[in-house]
Amino acid sequence: MSATNTPSLPTKPRWRRVYYLVPVVALGVPFIANEYLQFMANLMLVYVLVTIGFNIVIGNLGQLAFANTAFFGIGAYTTAILMVYAGVPYVIAIVAAAIAGGLAGFLASVAALRGIRLYYLAIITLAFGELMRWVYLHGDRVTMGSDGLLMPQPSFFGIPLDSETPKFYVFLLVTTLVVKATSNLMRSRVGRAIVAIRENEASTASLGIHTARYIVLAFVWSGAVVGIAGAMFAALTERVFPESFGLTEVIVQFGMVLVGGTGSIVGSVIGAITLTALPEYFRQFPGMAELFFGAIIVFVLLFLPKGLVSLLARISPRFNERYYLD
Amino acid sequence: MLLQLSISGISQGAIYALIALSMTVLYRATTIVNFGHGDFVMGGAFAVYVVVIIFGVPFIPASVAAIGIMFVLGIAVSRGFIDPIKAGPHIGFAMMSISLGYVLRGSARTLWGREVLPMPRVFDIEPVFIGDLVITGDAMIICATVAVLLVIFFLIFYRTTLGTIVQAVFQSERGATLIGINVRSFHETMWGVGLAMGAIGGILIAPISLLHPDLGASFLIRGFAAMTLGGFGSLWGAVVGGLLLGLAEQYLGAYVSTALIDITAYLVIIAVLVIRPAGLFGRVVTVRM
Repeated sequence: MSATNTPSLPTKPRWRRVYYLVPVVALGVPFIANEYLQFMANLMLVYVLVTIGFNIVIGNLGQLAFANTAFFGIGAYTTAILMVYAGVPYVIAIVAAAIAGGLAGFLASVAALRGIRLYYLAIITLAFGELMRWVYLHGDRVTMGSDGLLMPQPSFFGIPLDSETPKFYVFLLVTTLVVKATSNLMRSRVGRAIVAIRENEASTASLGIHTARYIVLAFVWSGAVVGIAGAMFAALTERVFPESFGLTEVIVQFGMVLVGGTGSIVGSVIGAITLTALPEYFRQFPGMAELFFGAIIVFVLLFLPKGLVSLLARISPRFNERYYLD
Repeated sequence: MLLQLSISGISQGAIYALIALSMTVLYRATTIVNFGHGDFVMGGAFAVYVVVIIFGVPFIPASVAAIGIMFVLGIAVSRGFIDPIKAGPHIGFAMMSISLGYVLRGSARTLWGREVLPMPRVFDIEPVFIGDLVITGDAMIICATVAVLLVIFFLIFYRTTLGTIVQAVFQSERGATLIGINVRSFHETMWGVGLAMGAIGGILIAPISLLHPDLGASFLIRGFAAMTLGGFGSLWGAVVGGLLLGLAEQYLGAYVSTALIDITAYLVIIAVLVIRPAGLFGRVVTVRM
């Protein structure tokens, strides 16, 4: 961390409030979008949460863990299974998905705490994701295997989510709340501790900060956020397939984090919104999604290591954030 | 039955050993774990396929060409993609290599679509029968090739001046620089060697398995599992780990459930990390963060 980034000074709080305009402006999207564009807008909201969650582990905590796809799938399948087999209302299923995602995050953090770091953590979390996909495929008595699990129609406090527009408003509400909560958490003492662990774990511990506790917390929060995204994804696509959580998805989510800007909440939102439409478009060309996302990450690593959000800071230093992964 | 399984386990394991060894060489030489390695292995196999089918070149010269292509590609990767981010955090190397792997996998899928390619038969060697035991020609060729390669590799490593230089850089980059070894070009060469060795693994496995872009991920996981089992960074460990992994896959597949073949490598990684993180021959290493 460079000398200009003094963590104890408050940022310019008033300026930060311009970000409140983003969800307000988004309220108008259903008035101009057709059904398909509306679907894409909903998917963007899902990926905003996916990227925010992933970025906590990669950007803020600085651990190379690829369990995000697993959290996403666990959230989606928890929602679908509870709604199909137990008739649980959607609102409660979202909470359950957050809890399930958080538990999965806890599992991943146990690996990190056992000293499984860097390469081991990357591989073991990749393995975790593939293992979960194996479970979805082979647990076909419950998950219906590769046919996918069909969701009943969700409703949110009595509002039926039968088309894209009501889904959009519900998703917008959930996403805004979760993003705001995450943003607050990351600017609090907890967030500063997490970034300090990234910078130097030993010296953080020597300051009397209980590092293990914060590592667990970062993973659990990440898992819960992505679990909620999974619950939204299940309601959006109405059928949950194992193939949605495969290795291509890993690079797509990873690309969103890196292109947006590691360790930046604004960057996560920008990354998710810019890149969500592409995998949908590439579906007709097999391999293009992997090729494109691989190439764009290589490009970002070589030429724009702080992501798109660093271009904003070039316009005005007011956009500067403090918790980049340098 | 047990012996028959052991034979196919060893011939599979020999290929895993080669892949794991090539990853270990690269890791020891550059402290980078190449997360795209599986895709480069797959790339070697694809290169052979292209040269054989499209240009009609016989298998052996085609393999030599493919190994050469992968060697040059390794140097290019080191020079063009790894060197420029040397100043950044170490985590960047892992991100870079996994992304390069995806680029390769995506290119393969874009060019070949969703087809699964059968490789033409290369050697028609009659299987050998010993009692009830059948040893296929492929198993013999794989085991023989890998054995010869390993002997050559370890002879170079322990018995020549070149090997001494390699060992010197493995021990201390800084010290090696001080005595006049060009570490930068050493890294480039080792990227080339690592990718070329991996490509040999891909070329050997291609005739007995169907070629498809997703092979890359399974090679990576298996190579990594073999490294973990043998002890991360240990050259002999990678070889032994690869053979044991091949055997474990066959035994689990036959005696428990065939569905387990696909996830044996994952289970091995998890089990080793939980029970004995240093692996069979490993010492505890601290990685540069």
